[in-house]
Amino acid sequence: MPDSRHGHTQLSKHMLTQFWISANSCTPMIDTHWLRPFSDVSALDDLLSRIHPTWALGRVKARVAAVIRETPDTRTFVLQPNRNWPGSVAGQCVQVTVEIEGVRHQRTYSLSSDPARSRRIAVTVKRQPGGRVSNWMHDHLQVGNVVELGRPAGTFVLPDPAPDRLLLVSAGSGITPLMAMLRDLHRRAYAGDVVFVHASRTRADAIFGEELAALAARWPALTLHVHSSSESGRLDATALAALVPDHTARHMMLCGPEAFMEAIRAHWQARGLDHLVQVEHFGIPRRATAPGDPVEVHCLRSERTFRADGNDPLLLEAERAGLRPRHGCRVGICHTCQCLKQSGTVENLLTGRVSSEPNERIQLCISRARSDVTLAL
Amino acid sequence: MLPRMTRDEIDTFGAELDALRDEIVADLGERDARYVRRVVRIARDAAIAGRALLMFGFTPISWGVGVAALGTAKILENMEIGHNVMHGQYDWMNDPALDSQTYEWDNVCDAGQWRHYHNYEHHTHTNILGKDRDVGYGLLRISAEQHWRPKHAIQPLSNVVLALLFQWGVGLHDLDLTRSLRDGKNTTELRQKARAFARKASRQLWKDYLLFPLLAPWNAPRILLGNLAANLIRNVWTNVIIFCGHFPEGARVYTLEETRTESRGDWYLRQLQGSANIEGGRLLHVMSGHLSHQIEHHLFPDLPAHRYVEIAPRVRAICERYGLPYNTGSFWTQYGSVLAKIFRYALPERLAKPATA
Repeated sequence: MPDSRHGHTQLSKHMLTQFWISANSCTPMIDTHWLRPFSDVSALDDLLSRIHPTWALGRVKARVAAVIRETPDTRTFVLQPNRNWPGSVAGQCVQVTVEIEGVRHQRTYSLSSDPARSRRIAVTVKRQPGGRVSNWMHDHLQVGNVVELGRPAGTFVLPDPAPDRLLLVSAGSGITPLMAMLRDLHRRAYAGDVVFVHASRTRADAIFGEELAALAARWPALTLHVHSSSESGRLDATALAALVPDHTARHMMLCGPEAFMEAIRAHWQARGLDHLVQVEHFGIPRRATAPGDPVEVHCLRSERTFRADGNDPLLLEAERAGLRPRHGCRVGICHTCQCLKQSGTVENLLTGRVSSEPNERIQLCISRARSDVTLAL
Repeated sequence: MLPRMTRDEIDTFGAELDALRDEIVADLGERDARYVRRVVRIARDAAIAGRALLMFGFTPISWGVGVAALGTAKILENMEIGHNVMHGQYDWMNDPALDSQTYEWDNVCDAGQWRHYHNYEHHTHTNILGKDRDVGYGLLRISAEQHWRPKHAIQPLSNVVLALLFQWGVGLHDLDLTRSLRDGKNTTELRQKARAFARKASRQLWKDYLLFPLLAPWNAPRILLGNLAANLIRNVWTNVIIFCGHFPEGARVYTLEETRTESRGDWYLRQLQGSANIEGGRLLHVMSGHLSHQIEHHLFPDLPAHRYVEIAPRVRAICERYGLPYNTGSFWTQYGSVLAKIFRYALPERLAKPATA
């Protein structure tokens, strides 16, 4: 969780922030309804944002300060967060909320910037084919726009103190958290040595390619290998082991497509080197199953998981599993059965629309699962 | 005379309305988000201005303007924002401030109870005698099909009292006190609801009659009276508009028997024939929370209400094609007919058989 680099002067502000955050959360510290409208956090945030677009009581908002074209399909968005940004540790990620045509969408991206520069943070986003948010960000997000951020999260961080010998391995957009780590290590004059291996399809596709080359030229501690799969074939575990002969003595941070990581991890595991490996998984959008394919439904609040046959609306499935969700008309009019779908794909039985959007409100009586889903039920 | 429709006609009628709904749902976006945010800001600014004028002004004029501003703010927040947001009209935005299941509005009615008895009960069982308690609110007899009771004799007076205290009627509605008092039951459910009501009502009373006066104690009586006046204005206005929704001449009630097996087309028909619109300009539409388009609201309760204005001509055209009546009229025509009913049905008459579809 966020690295608390606060001096004690920040503490009272932190407490005030906690008060306002809890004012609108499910379990308020005090019953703040009695202070309404003065405790209406979203109203106060709206008033603040009219004075300055990134001002907010507890929420983190950030202004886009710069957009850098890293490769034809990858851009770095440099963000200037407001004072609520707590600072992060290299390797952590953050949830970014953007509003596209009136609808708020959330995606999680690794921070690629050096965490010591908390006035300017950055996420590096690759355009995903068919991806709603990545394409919108590339096509519409400009300098001056404001996005909302969550708090930095994730445990994919270097051990502290950093090991003497490191191996940072990435493929494609998996380079983003590792770049943050590398920038961090360089700035704090890391005393050990680091081998940085990056695999991409072509040299032109290698994100941060130029910066890495320049860094390797002037920083003796860094050994850089940029692997182009179109030239040298795919980088598999054996090739990697050959590229880095002393890999058995290096702590490895690994990030990339699932198959890439699985293969390398299996190789390391087979040689008893699993303790050296740290892995970061980027969430994979679940492919929609066919209607009628069984799926698993995870209910966060009741801490239950049940199997659904994927044919009937989730309300019926939940009731069959013994849960008793709120319901009303059961035909999609009254919204009583509405609940938050944290992740997964559902199909709206009235409109036919299939959606994999995370943190989406759905009506259980007219939604059926088309993948494993997680509900706030 | 209401036309007799074949089963096929009812089905295609329903399908046409479904298609219209799908079309609007697919079109929702930036425009709707901007609209609701603008109304939220206007209501909030009006409330701030109104309360500031009451707190820091000293003349009767500033009191009047303050009351007008605060009354407008309460009306907008209750009708155009609160009622519509709680219907789920803006849930597609994924904005936690406009989430139907967590929104709490500025009147003594607990939002959870409102969602239950309005979104679910009233909109599902619209105008079904015995199931929709909005028919007369347990106080008034507004159709010949309702049994006459002695309390109805004074309903022209109870109507006025209800209007002045309307937020209290709305707040207590879910407790179904008429039935509880009659049956003498004191169930756990009733006690829970009573507690929730008491909590919400206390907070509202505290806010308007203690908190704000205490914040500017030099003006305390003026603030108290101003808040009372603003609440009264909102009560009367919301009462009048809501009564024009289902009580004007031509809006019909239904029995349990005739609605027992209802298809989607039948449901649409009942929503259409149980509702009535008010003709007017943009100001009326916004200030009534678009309940001036009660028909469209009942056909499509979870579509953003400002869209009803553009949907209405198309709904009207569909009705004409099927030979269905579309109940609309000027404000005084509609409200006048409501008052006429209140007087007419105050006295007992031979129980009329409900009009058949």
